[in-house]
Amino acid sequence: MAKKTFKGRPLLAGNLDGQALASTQPLNTTGSYLENLFAGRTDSAPCTDANNKAFYKKDLSGAIICTTTTVGSSLGGAALMGVGSLGVGPKALLFSEHVDSVSLAGVLMDDVWNERRVITIDQLGDEFLETVKSGDPISIHEDGTVVVG
Amino acid sequence: MKRRTILKTLPALTLLPAALKVTIVEADEHKAAASKAAGAASKKVELPDYAGKLGYSDGSVTNPDGSTQRGFKDRSSKSQNADPKAPYQMPLTEEELGILKGSKGPEMAKIMAIVVAHGNAFGAEGLVDLGGAPHCSLYTGTDYMKPMIDLFQECADAGLKTYAPYTVNPRCYDVYNVNNNETDMRLIYEGYRYQRDLDWVHAQLGAPDLNYRSCACYVDEVGNAPPPGTYVAWAESSAINYGNSAMGLRTNRNAGGMELLCGLLGKAPLFGLMTDEGRMADWVVEVKTSKAPDLGVLGTAIGLKVIDGVPFITGMEQYLGTEVSNDNMHLLKKMGSATAASGAVGLYHVENLTPDAKQKGRKLIKKDHQTYVYDDAEEARVLGNFPTKMEGRPENPTVALIGCPHNTYKEILMWGKRVTEAMEKRGLKTTAIPTKLFCANVVRDHLVKDEPLLVGKMTEANMRFTNMCTVSYGSMKGFSERIYGVTNSPKTRNYSPWVRYLPDDDIVEVILTGKIPKNA
Repeated sequence: MAKKTFKGRPLLAGNLDGQALASTQPLNTTGSYLENLFAGRTDSAPCTDANNKAFYKKDLSGAIICTTTTVGSSLGGAALMGVGSLGVGPKALLFSEHVDSVSLAGVLMDDVWNERRVITIDQLGDEFLETVKSGDPISIHEDGTVVVG
Repeated sequence: MKRRTILKTLPALTLLPAALKVTIVEADEHKAAASKAAGAASKKVELPDYAGKLGYSDGSVTNPDGSTQRGFKDRSSKSQNADPKAPYQMPLTEEELGILKGSKGPEMAKIMAIVVAHGNAFGAEGLVDLGGAPHCSLYTGTDYMKPMIDLFQECADAGLKTYAPYTVNPRCYDVYNVNNNETDMRLIYEGYRYQRDLDWVHAQLGAPDLNYRSCACYVDEVGNAPPPGTYVAWAESSAINYGNSAMGLRTNRNAGGMELLCGLLGKAPLFGLMTDEGRMADWVVEVKTSKAPDLGVLGTAIGLKVIDGVPFITGMEQYLGTEVSNDNMHLLKKMGSATAASGAVGLYHVENLTPDAKQKGRKLIKKDHQTYVYDDAEEARVLGNFPTKMEGRPENPTVALIGCPHNTYKEILMWGKRVTEAMEKRGLKTTAIPTKLFCANVVRDHLVKDEPLLVGKMTEANMRFTNMCTVSYGSMKGFSERIYGVTNSPKTRNYSPWVRYLPDDDIVEVILTGKIPKNA
C-alpha cells in the first residue's frame, strides 16, 4: 500500500514502529481491560468491550491503538495506569479527535510518576482513521507525524 | 499574585521535566495484533460479574450500540494557538516555575508537571489558585486502583496534604448496616482488597473521618460548600454538576486522581467550565409540561439531548422557586445528577434560580444555541424508554434504594414520615420490603438527634441508613443478581438498569405492599 502521512499533536511524544490496531469507534478505557483489571490477567489484554466491534477480543497489550477518542468512567485514567503496571498497557494511543481528559490524566500520571510512557498523539483527523486498518505498518515520529503503510 | 507571561517566546516543552520531554521509545517488536489476539482468546479467565459494569459507570458516554457520545473533552476550552495542533505552554508564575523545578520537593514537582501538561492539552490560560475545599471521587479499593493508591501514598510519605481538608465519595460497601452476610463479606474483602490502603491514604492527605463520606459533599452536615465563583477542582459527576450549577462554583469534570493532584497543588488549569466563555449555554431547554415534570425523567432527557453541552432551562420557576436552598436542593440534585448520568453535563442553568442565571440572565445563552422543547409528550416518550421488565429477577420488588446522590436531611425526614405515616394509616406493623436510605452518617445523626421517635418508627419499618455508594451497592455481585430494586434515583436507574425507577408515591406503595402498583 502507498504510504500516507498524517500530522497530529504530540502530547506524549516518541518514536515507534509497529502495526496498527484500529477502530472507528472510541476506546472505552475502563470497559476494555476488565480481565486485566479485575481478574489479574497479565499475559495479554483481550478487549472486553463488546460495543467496540473492531477491538473486541483483540489483544490490546502493547498495541498501537488508533481510534477516535476515549470514553468511559472517570476512573479511566486509573485503569490505564493499572494496565500499565501489569505490563499490558498500550504502547501508543493515536486519536483522530481531541484527546479526552480522563485518559490523558492517566497516561500523564503514569508517564511522570512511573516513567512509563504511552506515546499519545491527538487530532490526527478523520482521514487518518479512514485510512488506517488493523495490521497496517505504522511509523510514529516524535513531532506528531504518523506514517501509515 | 502577579502572573508573568514570560514563556511565550520559549519552546513549549523546554519547561517541562525530563519525563515529559521527547523520548525515544524502542522500536516495536512488530508483533501482529491479530496473532496476539488469537492467543489471548484461547485462555479462559474468570471475570467477576460486577466487573462488566465498569464501562458504564460514572461518566460513560458510549451509547448501547457503541457509538460515540462526546464527553470529558475539550468542550468550551479555547485554543490559545492559531494552530491547535501546535505545542502549547500556558504561562506560569515564578513560584509555579520554581515548584516545577523542585522548590517544594520532587513529589510536588511531578504533580506540577502533570497538572501543567494536562492544562496545556486543553489550552488552559494558566493555573488558578483553588479555594473552598477539594472533593475527591477515589473511593474504590479495587486491584486496578493500586498504582494510583501507591502514587498518593508516596505523596503522603512526603508529608503532602491538600490545601484544605477534603471530602471524599462514599465507600463501596457498608459492613455494618447492609453487607453483613457471608456472601457479601466475601465479595467485599476479595473485590476491594485495597480499600484499607485507600482509606489510609485519604486520612493522611487531609480527609476527615469516614462519617463525612458522601457524594453530596455540599449538604450542611458535611459542609463542603464554598461560595459562588470559587475555583475548585472536584471529581464525581453529580457533585461537579451540583457545584457548578446550583452553587455557582467553577470546576471542570476532572478525572479520578486529577482532582487530588490539584488539591495537593492548590491550583488547577483554567479552561472549560471554569471560564466565563465555557459556562455559556449552547442549549435552551423549554419546559412546557402541563404539570410539574418528573425531575428524574427531565434530567435524563436533557442529558440524552445535550450530552456534554450546557443547557439553560426555562419554565421551572413555578416548580423550583427562585432561590437555591435546603428546600429545593434535593430537587436540583435529582435533576442535575440525571443530566450527568445519562449525558455528561457538568453545568446547567435554571432561569431565575441558579447563581449564574440570576446574575446574567439570558445573556448566558449563545447566539447559535439549539432549542429542546420538553412537554408532556416528550416526557412520556423518554419515560417509555425506561426499563420496566426486569429479566431474571424476582417477580416482585425486594428492596427500595433511596438516594443517589446521597440523601439530604430533608429527604430522609420526608421518607421517614411518608413511609411510617402510611404504615400507621393502614394499620401495618411493618413494611413488605426493606428500605435503604443512602446518606452520610452525619446526616443520619442529624435526624437521630432531631427526630429520635421517628427514627425508632423507621427502624420498625425496616428502613436502614447506610453511608455507602448506591450505584456500587446496586451493581454488587452476589447482591444485584438476587434483588429486584426500586429507586427514586434516575442516576441509579441509569447505571443499574435492573433497578426500576418510580415516582415517590409509587415507591411508598411498593414499600408497603411489596408490589408494583398497576398504574405505574
